[in-house]
Amino acid sequence: MEYEDKAGRPSRPPSPKQNVRKNLDFEPLSTTALILEDRPANLPAKPAEEAQKHRQQYEEMVVQAKKRELKEAQRRKKQLEERCKVEESIGNAVLTWNNEILPNWETMWCSKKVRDLWWQGIPPSVRGKVWSLAIGNELNITHELFDICLARAKERWRSLSTGGSEVENEDAGFSAADREASLELIKLDISRTFPNLCIFQQGGPYHDMLHSILGAYTCYRPDVGYVQGMSFIAAVLILNLDTADAFIAFSNLLNKPCQMAFFRVDHGLMLTYFAAFEVFFEENLPKLFAHFKKNNLTADIYLIDWIFTLYSKSLPLDLACRIWDVFCRDGEEFLFRTALGILKLFEDILTRMDFIHSAQFLTRLPEDLPADEVFAAISTVQMQSRNKKWAQVLSALQKDSREMEKGSPSLRH
Amino acid sequence: MQAPHKEHLYKLLVIGDLGVGKTSIIKRYVHQNFSSHYRATIGVDFALKVLHWDPETVVRLQLWDIAGQERFGNMTRVYYREAMGAFIVFDVTRPATFEAVAKWKNDLDSKLTLPNGKPVSVVLLANKCDQGKDVLVNNGLKMDQFCKEHGFVGWFETSAKENINIDEASRCLVKHILANECDLIETIEPDIVKPHLTSPKVVSCSGCAKS
Repeated sequence: MEYEDKAGRPSRPPSPKQNVRKNLDFEPLSTTALILEDRPANLPAKPAEEAQKHRQQYEEMVVQAKKRELKEAQRRKKQLEERCKVEESIGNAVLTWNNEILPNWETMWCSKKVRDLWWQGIPPSVRGKVWSLAIGNELNITHELFDICLARAKERWRSLSTGGSEVENEDAGFSAADREASLELIKLDISRTFPNLCIFQQGGPYHDMLHSILGAYTCYRPDVGYVQGMSFIAAVLILNLDTADAFIAFSNLLNKPCQMAFFRVDHGLMLTYFAAFEVFFEENLPKLFAHFKKNNLTADIYLIDWIFTLYSKSLPLDLACRIWDVFCRDGEEFLFRTALGILKLFEDILTRMDFIHSAQFLTRLPEDLPADEVFAAISTVQMQSRNKKWAQVLSALQKDSREMEKGSPSLRH
Repeated sequence: MQAPHKEHLYKLLVIGDLGVGKTSIIKRYVHQNFSSHYRATIGVDFALKVLHWDPETVVRLQLWDIAGQERFGNMTRVYYREAMGAFIVFDVTRPATFEAVAKWKNDLDSKLTLPNGKPVSVVLLANKCDQGKDVLVNNGLKMDQFCKEHGFVGWFETSAKENINIDEASRCLVKHILANECDLIETIEPDIVKPHLTSPKVVSCSGCAKS
């Protein structure tokens, strides 16, 4: 059998043994470019039956190729139809959000219809608005306050860049220059925030916005300062909101109990969150729970990254945004439910892995996680343990740990 | 016939200030590549490197890449547990990260010791030496002195970008860990037969034979 891919190559000059291939009457397919060739002139010709056999095989190949082409065309058509359908439903959803839900937010947001639509994912064009409304502004931050904080941050940056060298050379720049260090860390981390998007790096279109929000926050909350992970959260908000609104959402989001516990690195409280997570982990995935326990794979190893960055670092960005959608709807509980969904999705693989491979896998999830599968897995996770809901389990554990004062709650499970 | 393999599994920590290149060093060491596009590490990341140390010895290194922000200290220091060695990394272009080295070392020594009470082996990495700004380490004698004072088993100028000295630094650390392990066996079982005799347990400590 002799054939070759001749795509893009000029055809060879006709061979003197034309007769061998004269009844060649198929059209070579554009995509496959299958061409039946006879042997080069300097070699003996094929025997007739061999040539016949080859011709037959060749015909079969062409038929197969045609079938494939047809199938491919059908697949493409179906894909296009599906995309149109998705676009249409997004279009409809945008209308519903804009015309029905957003104008009647207070009364409608907790209705079943809205909650269901919410679960499907908020259309990107209204996402920022919905997030802002859902996160709220308990702190009553105004645009003016943002401007003031930003001006103060800029002031500090100026003094840091002019007189900074003296500060740096002072002994032990740790506790004393901690706040200034915060500003320094921001600079370092910005370039490491979604580096592959190339929009937050020096010279990128969103670099200054990200810098501004993080800087302003360290002036607004000097007691918290800058903590790694914040840059990812601010970046996701910037992609969906104007700078000042992103700042308002950012500050209020970080003010939620779970986020405050983590960003203030309140270790005791973080352990309580991990312990609560483990209660639901054992309930939902007893086999994997036991396997992790056996391998000493504690929840903090993967949860720290997931919770600090609200999944924006570990999941594909569009999927992370969908997680944020429902996080805005359901609160912190959904962050832990998502973690269980991910564990559930990979339960089979994970139960076959040892410590280091599980840890590696969970701290670097596959890059092509399909959103539908993740959400399907999450939807099967029950956030109910012996009739207790997340908030009840958490507050019971918190009470325990306050009473025990010192003991780590995770040890008691 | 192949000689029976002796396998060692060591947990190694990679610590140091934020942005000094811990993740890059690990990526270079384990995956043989470099990108200036690494994301900040939050919490801890992991990597596994398998070394064919000598014909009889395989060494598996479990690398724990620990987030550098000081604030995470409380949270990440539980990860020091059971480590057998560490790299402390600083960035030669940022003097403050060098000033932090002693703090990282003291912190490590105060929280982690070998079963015999000795500190674990730590190698100091002066990273980003490709950037030509290494005013800090151009005085090798001073660095040697610094390492001696602070109990580092060695120091290397490294570049994850240009792949300079990373394998060498790791070999140095592993060599010391293997040697330490021989000491451990001796301190725990003082009656052990000496290496030149034919105890299989001792023969397997190739680090001793080498150093």
